[in-house]
Amino acid sequence: MNTIMNIDPWGFLDDLLGVPNRTFQAMRARAAGRFPPVNVFLDDHAILLDLQLPGKTAKDVSLTLEPQAVVIADKPAAEGGKEARPAWSRRLDLPFRVDADKANAKFTDGILRIELPKAEREGVKHIAIQ
Amino acid sequence: MNNEEKFTVPSTQFVENPEGYELKVALPGIGKEDAELHVEGRTLVLRARSKYQNPAGFRQVAAEFEHESYAMSADLPEMADVGTLAAKLENGLLTVAIKKRPETQPRKIDIL
Repeated sequence: MNTIMNIDPWGFLDDLLGVPNRTFQAMRARAAGRFPPVNVFLDDHAILLDLQLPGKTAKDVSLTLEPQAVVIADKPAAEGGKEARPAWSRRLDLPFRVDADKANAKFTDGILRIELPKAEREGVKHIAIQ
Repeated sequence: MNNEEKFTVPSTQFVENPEGYELKVALPGIGKEDAELHVEGRTLVLRARSKYQNPAGFRQVAAEFEHESYAMSADLPEMADVGTLAAKLENGLLTVAIKKRPETQPRKIDIL
């Protein structure tokens, strides 16, 4: 009976939610709604976001940069001068402040790649010790 | 190591209208040169290999999709005129249009 006692009844959650289990993560994202799946890449100078948006072009998607987050949303066609609500929107928190002027985004074959370079830190001065 | 290539069945939408059929296939990351479409008898066969690459020098911190290669086949309806099949792949979305055979179209009969 020891074997049974040692089993962590919630252990499967770690497996399901763990980073290595990418397939399940993708399933969760897709099952959650109509949000486009995203891959996120990081280095010391920038963050890259890749989103799967088959059939979409620049005119179909809106991109809003907040100080430390990015909002990607569907841009609904305005009908009769009225602006419809977006069918989906995804807000992704960023690990650092980004330089909005150097940000760029490009569609290639239904994949949107957003590149957000890290902002130079303002007001930080290195002081030489005498 | 397993060298077998992994294929995923893509998301599709099949719509019938009075004149014909339209099949839409989501192929994100697939360009025209990466996809092959064949008709074998009345079966439509699609194979597409992704050229999508993760950016070099970055570490991946979230993964909700993978570089997928896609494969699918679909039996075309009896009424489809295979000779009229036209396909275009734009922005990662494949659209296949097929007309119905003329003899299956509704015909207006003049009343004398």
